Parts: sequence; C-alpha cells; structure tokens
Amino acid sequence: MKHQVLALLLAATSAAYGADWEFDHLVRAIENHYGVKRTHIPLMGAANFVVKVVRPAGAGGFKLALFEDFRGGADYRDQVELDRFMENACKGGLHALVVTHSRSGGESSYILAGEIGKNTRMLIATFERDEATVVEAQVNVSALLKAIGSPDEARKTYQGER
Amino acid sequence: MRLVTIALAAALMPLWAQEIKLPANLEKLAAKAEETVDVSLDGSMLQLAGRFLSDQDDGQAKTKHLLSGLESISVKSFTFASEGQYDAADVDSVRAQVQGGQWSRIVGVTSKKDGEHADVYFKDGGNGTLGGIVVICAEPKELTIVRIAGILDPAQLADLGGQFGVPKLDMGVHIGGKKAGK
Repeated sequence: MKHQVLALLLAATSAAYGADWEFDHLVRAIENHYGVKRTHIPLMGAANFVVKVVRPAGAGGFKLALFEDFRGGADYRDQVELDRFMENACKGGLHALVVTHSRSGGESSYILAGEIGKNTRMLIATFERDEATVVEAQVNVSALLKAIGSPDEARKTYQGER
Repeated sequence: MRLVTIALAAALMPLWAQEIKLPANLEKLAAKAEETVDVSLDGSMLQLAGRFLSDQDDGQAKTKHLLSGLESISVKSFTFASEGQYDAADVDSVRAQVQGGQWSRIVGVTSKKDGEHADVYFKDGGNGTLGGIVVICAEPKELTIVRIAGILDPAQLADLGGQFGVPKLDMGVHIGGKKAGK
C-alpha cells in the first residue's frame, strides 16, 4: 500500500514538475537555438499577482518570457523549421492543440496544453519577425476550450496586444 | 459570400479518424499558403476535458454532453494569396473517401459565380445518431477541411459550430426532421 501511495505521489510530482520544466525548457531552447536572451520585464511579479486575483478568462497565474531581439523569418522554410523546433522542444509533457502560421503577418502561434485537469497548464508561444513570446497560464478547462476556439483572441488575452 | 461550414461527428470504431486521409499534396499546401490553421484534438484530450466541466453551468453542461461522444476533431485551413494554388483533384480525393457506404452528402453548395464549393458529409452512426462528419469548403483562395469523429446527436450540431476551431455553420441543415444549425 505504501508503495502504491508513493508511486502515485511520485507520478503526481513528476507530472507537475514536467509541466514547469516545459516552460523553462522552451525558454532556454529558444535562447540557445536562436541566440537570444529573454527580456527582463519590470514588475512581472505584480502582473502575476493581478492575474491571480482577477483571473481573466479562467487563468490562475502565469509565466511570461519575452524575446525582443528575436529575429525569425516569415517564409515557409522558417515556419517549417519552427514547427520542428517546437516539436522537439516540447516533447513529453505538452500537446500542440492549435498551430497557426501567417506568412503575410510573419507570425506563428502555438497553443499547447499539459495534462488536462481541473486546472491545466496552457502554453502559448508566438513567434513574430522581431519578437517572440512564451506564456504559460494555469487555466480551467472552459478557458482552455475557449482558447482553442479562438486562438487569436487567446493570444491577445494572455500575451497582450503589442 | 464566404461559405463556411462545420463538421461534427462520430465513429463507431475508434479508428474512424484515421480513415479519412488528407492527400500528401494537400498536406504540402502549407508551403503555398499565406495563412494556415491546424487544430488537432484527440479523444483522450476531449474526454478528459469533458470530465472537468461542470454539470451545474448550462454552457459547460452542454459542452460536456457534446464532448462525451467525440473521439477527435481536426481542422485544417489554408488561405492563399492568389487563386489556383491547390489542385481540385486533391480535394476530390478527399470527397471520394466520404462517398458511399454509411456516408451521405447532406449539404452541397456550389457557386459558379464565386467558384466556391461547400460539402457536408455525415456518417450514419445508427439509432438516429451521427457517426462522423466531414466538411469540405473549397474557395478560390481558401480551403478548409474539418473532420470530426465520435457519436453525436444531430441536435448537437449547432453547438459544435464556433467551438474547438470548428467554424460556425451558416447554412440550415435538417437531419431526421430536426433543424441542426444555422
């Protein structure tokens, strides 16, 4: 019985750790692969607090990484390369639910989700010509389904319009 | 007019979703497309999501009921800068997969003026249910293919539009005497 409880505890812990790891891993992967550094965002802690209190669209908290010196491409080869990069970077804990590419807008967006539960870690990664953003938010299922139905709206809600 | 469509549905067999294949040429359209949208939701994701929706909230309860029978949802949409970027024969090869047997084309709209074609195919799931839906919307500069697997009550058709990346159904569809959506 002890072993079963321990196994369950370990599984739960590793699942939670895995989801956290995905965000940090993706941020590091972008830094390494594209040779960029995430931009320090002043008062990020306060922003997180506001999100936790206000809970927009069912979000309970979030992590944000902004890469202002990202230099991606808008053509098809760049976007295929991005797809490959995201697939490799998110192996394991996350599933790509929505992928959008706009060559005219030079933008690619990925909505990914970890293990589905009462609260699910949703990750939205957006790559533009000169900027990349990764947001991880704790959302309820209703908010997750809403994001899937309106990926552009979700990107604006969680990453802000810049 | 922009023809937009829906697809919902059901496979009596778990492997139904794999039965409808996109030709390789269509998969390669992303190289020519100005914009692409790819939604891919598998059965385990949909079932898990359904478990965490509330029965008390009307909207969530409706979605929960809807998800209970679904096995997968896949939406692929390509928007092109100019006409003639995709081959009609490739689209026909998708249509050929949903003709005959348990499949029926419920809606077929062709606009010669605008060069637009919209087709909605339903698979009979037996006992008055749908067993699968495929929607093909081919416009000169846009191509959308929606594939949904799972058991679905025809009355739920309207609820699927606008959710999960499935476009809203903007045409009346009558199945078994029930108006499915508009």
